[in-house]
Amino acid sequence: MSTVNRSWYDGMLTTEDWWAVWLGLILFGLSLLSIASVDAVGWMANVKTWVLGQFEWSKVLVPAGKGYKEMSPFASWGVTYVVFTGITCTAAYFMKFNVRKFFLGWTVLFVLLYAIQIVGNEAHLAATRDTWKKYGITAGLSLTGEGSYILALIVGLIIGNFFKGFAEFLKEAAKPEWFIKTGIVLLGIKLGLTSMQAAGFAFEIMIAGAAAAFVAYMLFWPIVYTMGRKLFGLSRPAAAVLSSGISICGVSASIATAGAIRAKPALPVMVSTLVVIFATFELIILPGFYTWVAPDQPIVNGAAMGMTVKTDGADAAAGAVLEVLMRTRAAADGINWQEGWILTSSIATKIWIDVFIGVWAFVLAMIWVYKVERKPGQSTVAASEIWFRFPKFVLGYLFTWLFVLWLGLSMPEVAKSAKGAFDIAAGPMRGLMFGLTFLAIGVITDFSKLKGLGRLALLYAIALVGVIAPIAYLVAWIFHNGMMPPLVIPAAAG
Amino acid sequence: MRADLDLKLSHDGKRWVACNAMLEAQGEDFLQLDAALTEQLRARAEFPAGSRVRVFMGFDFDTLPRWMRQYQSHYFNRYVTIEL
Repeated sequence: MSTVNRSWYDGMLTTEDWWAVWLGLILFGLSLLSIASVDAVGWMANVKTWVLGQFEWSKVLVPAGKGYKEMSPFASWGVTYVVFTGITCTAAYFMKFNVRKFFLGWTVLFVLLYAIQIVGNEAHLAATRDTWKKYGITAGLSLTGEGSYILALIVGLIIGNFFKGFAEFLKEAAKPEWFIKTGIVLLGIKLGLTSMQAAGFAFEIMIAGAAAAFVAYMLFWPIVYTMGRKLFGLSRPAAAVLSSGISICGVSASIATAGAIRAKPALPVMVSTLVVIFATFELIILPGFYTWVAPDQPIVNGAAMGMTVKTDGADAAAGAVLEVLMRTRAAADGINWQEGWILTSSIATKIWIDVFIGVWAFVLAMIWVYKVERKPGQSTVAASEIWFRFPKFVLGYLFTWLFVLWLGLSMPEVAKSAKGAFDIAAGPMRGLMFGLTFLAIGVITDFSKLKGLGRLALLYAIALVGVIAPIAYLVAWIFHNGMMPPLVIPAAAG
Repeated sequence: MRADLDLKLSHDGKRWVACNAMLEAQGEDFLQLDAALTEQLRARAEFPAGSRVRVFMGFDFDTLPRWMRQYQSHYFNRYVTIEL
C-alpha cells in the first residue's frame, strides 16, 4: 500500500481532511431536505439540562426535531449512533483504517461522550444564572451544556495518561483533527445563520483574521528560527521545522515545512509529538487566562487564541471553552453576547494560518531547492504542491457558510423553513463532533512523551510564552480592538 | 507536470529510496540518490544516451506514522531532470 499525491484529486477518498468535507456536507445535505418538508435530522439525540434527584431519561435525552418528539430517548440515541457510526465507518473503510478496531473504539468514545454530556448537563454545572429559578437551584457553575467539553477533556486525559492500554485500544478511532474539521464544516452553517443578521461583522472578522494571521506569522517565524539557530544551536532543518510547528499551525505546519525543505521524516514526527502535547497545555491554560485578563475583549481573545494554540482541534476546542467562560462571565454582569462569535474569531485566524502554510511551504521549497540544494535546472518545485497542502476542510466551511448566507439573503422564506434543521446540524451534530474532539485530544495526549525531547521542548516553551503568546495577543488587539459580538435580542414580552 | 519516469519516494530511517516495479535507487541524501538513479538508468539503457530524463518522485505518505495524516496528508514531491 502507498499514498502518493500525483493528481489534483488524489486523497479525496483516502484522507481525513477530505472526509471531514464529505461528512460535513452529508449532514448539511440531510438538513437541506427540510426545504422539501423532509425532516432527516430531527432524530438527533440532544442532551438537556436536568436537576440532581429528578433524573428522567425522557427529559434528558431528547430528539432535537419537533417532528420526532414522540420518539423514545433510546430510539433517538440509537438512530444517532447508527447514522454517525455508519458514515464514520464508511470513511474509515475508504481511509484504510482497521475498520473493526475503529468501530469498537468509536463505539466506546460515542457512549462515553454521551455519558459525559449527561453528567455535564446537570443543572448545578450547566444552568446559567438566569435559569436557576426554573431548575429550583440557588448556586451553580453556569458553564452551559458546552461545559461538558471540559469534562470530556479531563476524562480523555485520565485515559491517555493513566490507562495507556485502553488509550492504545481507542487510538484507531481517536482522531481529534478529523472530528474538529468535520465540526468546523458544520460550524459554517451556524456562521451562515448568524451572518444573516450581521453579514458585515462576519466578513470583518474574516478579513481582520486574515490580516492578523499574516502579520503575526511574519513576526513569529523569523524570531523563533533565529532563537533556534543562535540560542539553541539547532541545525537549519530542525530550526525551520520547529519554527513552523510553534509559529504556524502545529503538526500540519511541521509536516509541510519538513517536506518543503526535504527533511528526513523523523524530524516532523518528533516536532509533531511535541506540538500535540503543548497544544493540550495551551487548551487547558489559555481560555481561563484570557477570560481573567481581558474579560471585555471577546473577539480579541478569540483571535489571539487562533494564533497561539497549535492544531485545529486544540484551537477550536480552546475557542469553545473561551466562549463558554467569557459569555458566562459577561452574563453575570448583565451582558448577553450572541453565541458563536468568539469561537468564530478563534477559527477565522486559524483557518487563514492553515491556508497560508501551503503558500509558505511552497516559498520555502523554492528557497531550499534553488538556494540551499543549489541544483538549478535539475530539480524543480511544482505549483501543485500548494494545492496538495491546502486544508480541504476550509472549502467545506466556506461552502456551508456562504450557501446558507446566500439562501437567507436570496430566498428568506425557504431559509426560514430550513432553519430548524440547520440549527440541528450546527447545534447538536456539530456539538457531537466538538465533544469527540475534546475526548480524543485527551486520549492521544501522553505527557510522559515529553521525556527525551529536552532541548526542543525547552525552546518550544520559551518561544510560546516569550514570543508567540504576547505577539499574538498584541496583533489580535491591533486588528480586532473594538469589535464586539452582537447582543442577544430579548424575546418580545407577551 | 509531465514526467518520463514515475517513482515512489520513501525513507527507511537512513536512506532515501526511489523505486517503481522495475528499478530501485537509494542514497543518504538527494545527491547520492540522484547519482544512483542516473547510474541505473544508464545501465538499463531504456533512454538514449545523452538524453534528458524528467523524473517524478512522489513521496509515499505511508512512510510517516498514520496518526499524522489527519493533520496534513502531503509531504513533498520532487521533479528532477537527469542527464544521461
